[in-house]
Amino acid sequence: MYAGIPIWYISLVLPVLVGIVALFASEKHGRAISWLSALTLIIPMIATAYYWAVNAVSNGVVDPWVLHLEKYGLGTFYLFMDGLSAPIVVGVSLVTAFVAVYAYKYMATRIEEMREEGENPPGLGRFFFLYNVFAVAMLGMGLSSNLLEFYFFLEISLISSFLLIAYYGYGDRKKIALLYFIWAHIAGALFIAGSLVYGHYAHSLDVVRIVSGKVTYVSPADELLGSAARIVAGVMLLGLFIKMAVLGVHMWLPYAHAEAPTPVSALLSPNLIGLAGYAIVRFVLPLFPAELKSIHGYLILLAVSTIIYGGLVALRQTDFKRFLAYSSVSQMGYLLLGIATLTAYGIGGAILHYLTHAIGKAVLFMVAGVFITEEHGLRDMTRMGGLAKYYPFTAAAALLGFMHLVGMPPTLGMWSELLITIGVVKAYPAVNTGNVILVATMLLLAYGVSAGYAFITMRKVFYGRPREGYKHEVLDGFKTTVVILAVLGVLLFLGIAPLMAPLKTASQQIISLLG
Amino acid sequence: MFAASAMVNPNSGLMPWALIWGIPYLGAAILAILFFVGVRNEKIYSWGAVTSIGLGALVAVYALYKVLKEGPIYGASNTNWVPWLNIKIGVYLDGLGAIMAVIVSVLSFLIAVYSVEYMRGDWGVQRYFFFFTFFVASMLLLVTADNLVLMFIGWEGTGLASYALIGHWYTDEEEYWVGVPGRKALGVPMYFEPSHSGVRALMFTRIGDIGLLIGMSAIYLLTHTFSIPLLAANTHWIVELATKGSLTALLIVFSMGALAKSAQFPFQEWLVTAMTGPTPVSALIHAATMVKAGVYFMLRMAPIFLLGAAAGHVVAAQLQSYFYIMAGLGAITAFMMATMALVSNELKLILAYSTASQLGYMFLGVAAAGYIVSKANEAAALGVAAGLSHLMSHAIFKAALFLIAGWLIHVAHSRFIDHMGNYAKYMKLTALSMWLAGLSLMAIPPLSGFFSKELTLKSAEEAGLVWDWALGALTAGLTAAYTLRMILRVMHLPPKKETHGHPHEAPPLMLIPYLLLSLTALALGLAWVWVYPGLAKGISETLAVQVPLDEVKQAFTIAVTSAKTLGTLAWVGVSLAIVWYLYVPAKIDFDRILERSTIARAVHDFLFDRWYINSLIYIFIVGGFAGLSLILAGFNNILDIAYHMALPALFVLAAAGIRSLHRGKTDYYLMLYLYFAALVLLYLYIAWG
Repeated sequence: MYAGIPIWYISLVLPVLVGIVALFASEKHGRAISWLSALTLIIPMIATAYYWAVNAVSNGVVDPWVLHLEKYGLGTFYLFMDGLSAPIVVGVSLVTAFVAVYAYKYMATRIEEMREEGENPPGLGRFFFLYNVFAVAMLGMGLSSNLLEFYFFLEISLISSFLLIAYYGYGDRKKIALLYFIWAHIAGALFIAGSLVYGHYAHSLDVVRIVSGKVTYVSPADELLGSAARIVAGVMLLGLFIKMAVLGVHMWLPYAHAEAPTPVSALLSPNLIGLAGYAIVRFVLPLFPAELKSIHGYLILLAVSTIIYGGLVALRQTDFKRFLAYSSVSQMGYLLLGIATLTAYGIGGAILHYLTHAIGKAVLFMVAGVFITEEHGLRDMTRMGGLAKYYPFTAAAALLGFMHLVGMPPTLGMWSELLITIGVVKAYPAVNTGNVILVATMLLLAYGVSAGYAFITMRKVFYGRPREGYKHEVLDGFKTTVVILAVLGVLLFLGIAPLMAPLKTASQQIISLLG
Repeated sequence: MFAASAMVNPNSGLMPWALIWGIPYLGAAILAILFFVGVRNEKIYSWGAVTSIGLGALVAVYALYKVLKEGPIYGASNTNWVPWLNIKIGVYLDGLGAIMAVIVSVLSFLIAVYSVEYMRGDWGVQRYFFFFTFFVASMLLLVTADNLVLMFIGWEGTGLASYALIGHWYTDEEEYWVGVPGRKALGVPMYFEPSHSGVRALMFTRIGDIGLLIGMSAIYLLTHTFSIPLLAANTHWIVELATKGSLTALLIVFSMGALAKSAQFPFQEWLVTAMTGPTPVSALIHAATMVKAGVYFMLRMAPIFLLGAAAGHVVAAQLQSYFYIMAGLGAITAFMMATMALVSNELKLILAYSTASQLGYMFLGVAAAGYIVSKANEAAALGVAAGLSHLMSHAIFKAALFLIAGWLIHVAHSRFIDHMGNYAKYMKLTALSMWLAGLSLMAIPPLSGFFSKELTLKSAEEAGLVWDWALGALTAGLTAAYTLRMILRVMHLPPKKETHGHPHEAPPLMLIPYLLLSLTALALGLAWVWVYPGLAKGISETLAVQVPLDEVKQAFTIAVTSAKTLGTLAWVGVSLAIVWYLYVPAKIDFDRILERSTIARAVHDFLFDRWYINSLIYIFIVGGFAGLSLILAGFNNILDIAYHMALPALFVLAAAGIRSLHRGKTDYYLMLYLYFAALVLLYLYIAWG
């Protein structure tokens, strides 16, 4: 259905307006700006709750403002949300809003620290402008219906996050920002190159079309592209794999995510890269179902390898943020695993895992940021230990964050893990002993490694004898946002019903395209 | 014969019975919120926990009364909690579930009371009572859930609480370790800090839980339901798996969670080191309740599996292999852990070994019964009765022993039995309790442990699993031996090493719980003739399985009057006599024997270092992953260099090459011009010529 008001345009524009105001506001209004940003960024979440209450999410909620570009051969730009994008919208909205509040203290400290070092970084105003642009660009990616529209938001997200790293990052930040830009741009270029080939023949870059208020998909690209379909699909997938940081093309991620200022890491790591997984489901699958089907066994193998590889390499890291970055590589394996099963359960699980990971990983990055801010840049895990005694609430939040990643109840992770598991078992049904052993081996290794690195690190950082003297935690707004976001993951576990029913409808709709 | 009951449709509406776990969960949530808002008063936490658990226990007891009087209770919420997967919040209370709920909640209540005193003044007391309450709620959810997912949530909840409570003293001071500091076996350290033990417990059980998750998922895909009563009512899924030939494998994967949770071989290691937790936690989680979850799972699921056996030979054959393996694992665990207990020098470790060993009996009992699929109804009756009986009696006497151990370790200021001795002089009531509970563990009639253990052995015998039965019978003697050694050492012989302890009787808040428990073990045994039929009636209608009550009772009579029973009893007597002789009149100095004889030392070290299984796991599995992690990290660095140094260097090189062609020297350009002009002319000449 079409929404009564242009709700998605409002969601995209308001945070940017706040950002523009921030550019001209004085430094001392930083706290107000961060709260204002959070208030505008939470709008999509509230809108989703409202549309769920009026039972509209399953059929899709489409913005009444539609951009018609058919005469240029580009198709139609809708902004819409259905069961597949609802977890994305909720994830982006929740995390960006909470991190906005969190970012105030973190960035104020960071900017001051940079000034003490004799640098001259742009002030809080420019930070919040870029931050809000970055946030809405990701929201736009989740709401897009058209390949070019998605690419447009993708590049905005890239430019804004590139500048955030270049301005406020750590280490050799200019070089790392450039490295990030080049990799991400290659990813984007591959994606749009494939899209344009398709668009050339289809005379449109649409993948989703709204027909009488309902979400429908264009027909697969095989007939148009013939034997080239495999190549086009391959090029687009490669682009998205780079963006997702799948094993083999993941090398840029540890640099970018570890050295970005922590509030930006908290958005980059779970939110941005997961959107590439979402794009595979939303755009690549409807266009190239047969091609995906023919390689899905290899994709499952790649996914499991990514989970294990990311997890085991994470175990060797001593830098907390770099550890989290490798953990993100591993978690992207779960998204790919769910998608590669090509079952409704698996895809629903992957999309739900986007939200799980968004909350869990954002919480963990925020935890890392707490120590950077409060303990003078402490991020070396060899200098940590016994921190739970000094930071009990932060420790509790971290435990919940890790439980999200591992898929333990009572966190949201339980549902995504269950759905993905059902998907994998459906892909390799228990019709013979070989399949049972195959599934058991793959999942034992993958889930086992995840649990291993999570709880071993939990011990390294929070338990054992304290390595040095730490401060005692004071529960201010900064740390409260971390705890509340972690608890929200528990509440979402309890109140999963609103997301689950629309997710089922949308996943089954997209699976029906496989024939 | 089996008969499918009509209990497949729940009563609509969330039944008040969900309060059994609802109240403790609410209690835990309130404690968490209070902590968040800054309340730190210890009494609020301790008595808050006791109150919420006590209220839950009251509901559970009432539920059992209703179940025994009116039959099973089955209620579920009107709407789906998780729409896609059709998961409702439901409670299924038959005899098994209700009895479990009562055992769990009443024991938890007593141990919570004990904890009030035991944990007084501890720096993490608020966290302790939060996780304690959360644990009890999860355990009650586990045993009353009507579907596999709810059960799994309770299952994982108990795991989380266990992890948190094992690592309660996570700052890792040496007094909270397990094992002899500095000791190594095959180069692997054999002493464990609390935070290390927590990770171990979580990892071992989590690995098992992944199997459970896979099994659940496979069953769901075949049946489109997680509801346990529905799975029992319609067993076509078992037949389908059997005809495809994957039944045995899937059931083993499905049961991995149970094996891990109940510390059965090869998952037993985590339970041993779980003893770093506060002693009431060891009593509750690692003796009386959580470790029984695996046995509960078997009691709950085995009858359902057997229902499928009615479909024919193919199913029966694959079920037999499954039960054969499970029975074998139970028997091996029972024997292996008992041998370790013989030489251990830490009080709580002896009890932990003993717990795993006794859990092995329970697995053996249930699985052996399943093995006789041809006589399914009688077998199920005997097996379920045996498993549940031993579960109950063990829960009671082992909880008592642990609570006593908590007090003894406190007065001895040491966890090693060598630092204890002659305590019977100072604490008469504690000694009495230890003897009662200990005799029950030794399976001496008329204590409850005797009856329940005989039932499990009987089950193995009926099944014709000769080797398993023999191991079980052998273990009976070992059990008696290590128990007597422990009691003599601690209560009656003088301390072996110098001690700084101040032995005196426990305060009432601690004494009363374990005294009550050990008296219950006695009373239960004396009243067994009356208790057992009640128990049997309670479980005779488990799920769709309906077993005539007479058969259950009859099985019992056979069990305790056979010649084999007298034989085992004689073997127990001999073991006791040997231990008594070695320690009391002969006063054998084992340390000197160990010093002199290499063989004796090798045997001792083999048992003391837990058959080297821990070392092998660390060398091969943990070491394997650590090595792989090292290799992959190295590969990752190469990849990094290739992408971020070699590739850019290549471009720099290529750029230099192209740049060198554009140096702005006129004579060089002129020469190139002439050269290419000559080439073009040559080409034209050839083309036209």
